[in-house]
Amino acid sequence: MPPEKATAPAPSGARSRLAAALRPGNAGVVYALLLIVAVLTLLSAQLGRPPYLSATNVINILDQSSLIAILAVFTTVVLISGNFDLSVASVAAFSAATVLSLVAPLGLPLAMAIALGAGLVCGAVNGLIVQLVGINAFIVTLGTMTAVRGLVLILTDGRTITAEDPAAQSSLIALQAGYWTVPHVLAVLGVAAVAAGVLVLLRRSRRAGIAIVVAGLVAVALSPVLGFELRLSKPTYYLIVIAGLTWAVLRYTVIGRRLYAVGANAEAARLSGINVSRYKIGAFVLNGLGSGFVGILFAAKLLAINPTGLQGTELTVLAAAILGGTSLFGGLGSVLKSVVGALILFTLDNGFNVLNLGANYQGVIVGTVVVVAAAIYTVAGRQRQVKRVRESTKPQAPVRQEALR
Amino acid sequence: MVSGAPLLSLTGVGKEFPNGTVALKDARLTVQAGSVHGLVGANGAGKSTMIKVIAGAHAPTSGVVRWKGEEVVWRTPGAARKAGVATIMQHVPLAPTLTVLENVFLGASGPWRMPRSRRAEFARLLERVGYAIDPDAEVAGLAIGERQMVAILQALATGAELVVMDEPTASLAEGERQVVFDVVRRLSAQGTAFLYVSHFLDEVLSLTDHVTVLRDGTVVEEGGTSGYDEDRLVQVIVGRELLEVERRSAEPVPADAPVLLKVSGLGSPSGVREVSFEARAGEVIGLAGLLGSGRSEILHAVYGADPRATGEVLVEGRPVGRGPRAAVAAGMALVPEDRGAQGLVGTFPIWKNVSLPHLPSLSARRSLPREPAERERAERAIADLGIVCPGPDALPGELSGGNAQKVVFGKWLYGGARVFMLDEPTAGVDVGAKADILELVRRFAADGGTVLVVSSEFEEILAVATRVLVVREGRVVAERAAHETSEEELLMLANGFGEGGAQHHAA
Repeated sequence: MPPEKATAPAPSGARSRLAAALRPGNAGVVYALLLIVAVLTLLSAQLGRPPYLSATNVINILDQSSLIAILAVFTTVVLISGNFDLSVASVAAFSAATVLSLVAPLGLPLAMAIALGAGLVCGAVNGLIVQLVGINAFIVTLGTMTAVRGLVLILTDGRTITAEDPAAQSSLIALQAGYWTVPHVLAVLGVAAVAAGVLVLLRRSRRAGIAIVVAGLVAVALSPVLGFELRLSKPTYYLIVIAGLTWAVLRYTVIGRRLYAVGANAEAARLSGINVSRYKIGAFVLNGLGSGFVGILFAAKLLAINPTGLQGTELTVLAAAILGGTSLFGGLGSVLKSVVGALILFTLDNGFNVLNLGANYQGVIVGTVVVVAAAIYTVAGRQRQVKRVRESTKPQAPVRQEALR
Repeated sequence: MVSGAPLLSLTGVGKEFPNGTVALKDARLTVQAGSVHGLVGANGAGKSTMIKVIAGAHAPTSGVVRWKGEEVVWRTPGAARKAGVATIMQHVPLAPTLTVLENVFLGASGPWRMPRSRRAEFARLLERVGYAIDPDAEVAGLAIGERQMVAILQALATGAELVVMDEPTASLAEGERQVVFDVVRRLSAQGTAFLYVSHFLDEVLSLTDHVTVLRDGTVVEEGGTSGYDEDRLVQVIVGRELLEVERRSAEPVPADAPVLLKVSGLGSPSGVREVSFEARAGEVIGLAGLLGSGRSEILHAVYGADPRATGEVLVEGRPVGRGPRAAVAAGMALVPEDRGAQGLVGTFPIWKNVSLPHLPSLSARRSLPREPAERERAERAIADLGIVCPGPDALPGELSGGNAQKVVFGKWLYGGARVFMLDEPTAGVDVGAKADILELVRRFAADGGTVLVVSSEFEEILAVATRVLVVREGRVVAERAAHETSEEELLMLANGFGEGGAQHHAA
């Protein structure tokens, strides 16, 4: 353990916690993203390509990665709960096919509800079989992945389904196409920061609260000078809301804490009075629901789905989660880092296009990046353990206390 | 081989672990070729450590190991095995998907998986042992006793001259035990030496010809088995004087103390049969039983952690629903036997572990945990229990066994739990922490709670309990007030001797 943590006795040391969060071991994936972006920016400048870090390109990358990133958020939840889900892409494709075939006769809201329901049922089936029958999640979801893909084939009869009805088309397009603009982002963020700072000030630590309030006020004050508006695609906003909400639930609620406990040590969680099955099945249900939602967005984007649509995406999603440092053994992971993981994958993807390197090299590079990331997490984790063992072998003070008497 | 030298001898062997625990000090052991040597001692006396030193799994920190008169240092289990020492652990590590034949020759070298000559060799082995088993049966389908035999065959196939058996009969039925005994007798007559480690003193007395008794990491006595009987062996194992701190005769609670816990007709396929008892506020009830007697299973059944358990559990007169959730809500707490696998979440710092069972009560609107409150509770636990740690942010893996155990106690200390169930609370805990934990158990009771303690160290049970229930084969076979019984009596009862137990044992 690094010294700052060991020497900081104050539990409310917001500073040391921030430092801990920024340590490479914790925020490595963010640094990796920054590094990749920096390299691509320099390369594109060097090669005389259009500037890499332009607003258009950034907005593009965010838009392209949003669907995968949403899937990665929910997959991370399943991984944290100590399970595994391979069926997300099939479920999303099934939901897309459902919504496309039902939107014309039933209208969008009802078609969407049915598609979401289909996703939910798939997730529930996964969860119930894994938890109540006790079959390994890998096997179960490998099965449902194949079976649900089969359902897609049956539903589409092997052909591409398109939404031809103009009314249906326009309602679908309205769901995901286009951009929302937040004017005066700095002002908005500043006001939010002031509000959050006041909360922190009242609830926790005075100094940190004041700092946040001051930062917020500065942002508001600078806003008229800098202007700056935020213009992002609708799926990007969906991602921001979903990832933010999920993160907050995992970070700040009893549900989140218990989910981590269940994933890290199900037996200890069970003996502590936590309903383990509820959490494990819940994670699958949520993942099914999320896949259903992504399927709808996918359908709205292409206005069509072919029977093999999204095939293979489940692995991209898992790669994003692994890049984000999510443990395949449960109990560890952060949805925000998984989102960054997805951004890395799409930044690479986009970089290859911008640099015109050709798609042939892409697989090799992306695969290498994933394995290298996993290797770094594993080695870093091992080193931390070694350090801990060394520390614990130090002679300890004799164990005699007066508090018990 | 130096002529006349014993097969194996240990002199002045000590083992100190990096965390400062002294598991063995100046221990000695002499095993003659062809003898069956018993190694007995209470839990934590150092038996396992000694076996591990012999098997090459632990390097001794001091002393000399001689094999056939020559000084040896085995750094890996493979080295010991090669020299001719085979160790059969309690949980037999066999490859369940392979056949008996393949398992027996698992360590054999050669390019082919199953040369023809193996079958002949296997047949010779069976003849030597006087046992019959289908070489092509898959190990996964075998009974535990048969697996034990496969392990013995495996040991012999490597040409072992000394076979170390750690509690070989703990999970065997009576008939299977006899098979193991027969084989041990037969092979020792042929010249193979055995080091036989067991809690079951009747087995040690009938099977071995020499016995070494360990207590607190040192050899307290050794000699020919014929010079011992059950009573004397028990006395030697226990030692005449008990630790001053731990021995404090607990008075029975007044008869009008309210009944906190009432268990009736408790049973489970895991091996709990018709268990009924009542526990009053202020009582510490010790469940005394040997390994495999069903004592832990009883705790799990009472707590509802065993989903197949049947029967009725009432806390303060109100029936408790099945399942740990209901148990926690009713004010029960379980400190499980294996704190790493069952008690603590390894990725959570101390403060998250401590708050886990009663998290909603530390949360705003029962759903948003208040971190300052959680940390405060953890700091209180650290101060109250004397947990030696860098702070509430330390992970359980950074703590010593005793301190990690205190964190598990800390989980239940402040959440209003009144019925505490402690499964081997001092296993793997050093002496200082042990006294603290026993003190804590007394405090739980003094504060008006009820405590059930399972321990294989009867000394410890007598030190804290007001009443003792002796458990054998999943039943409560006897009940004693703690101040009216002795460790010797408990050990006899748990072994199936004495009133009620004797017929049982014969059956």
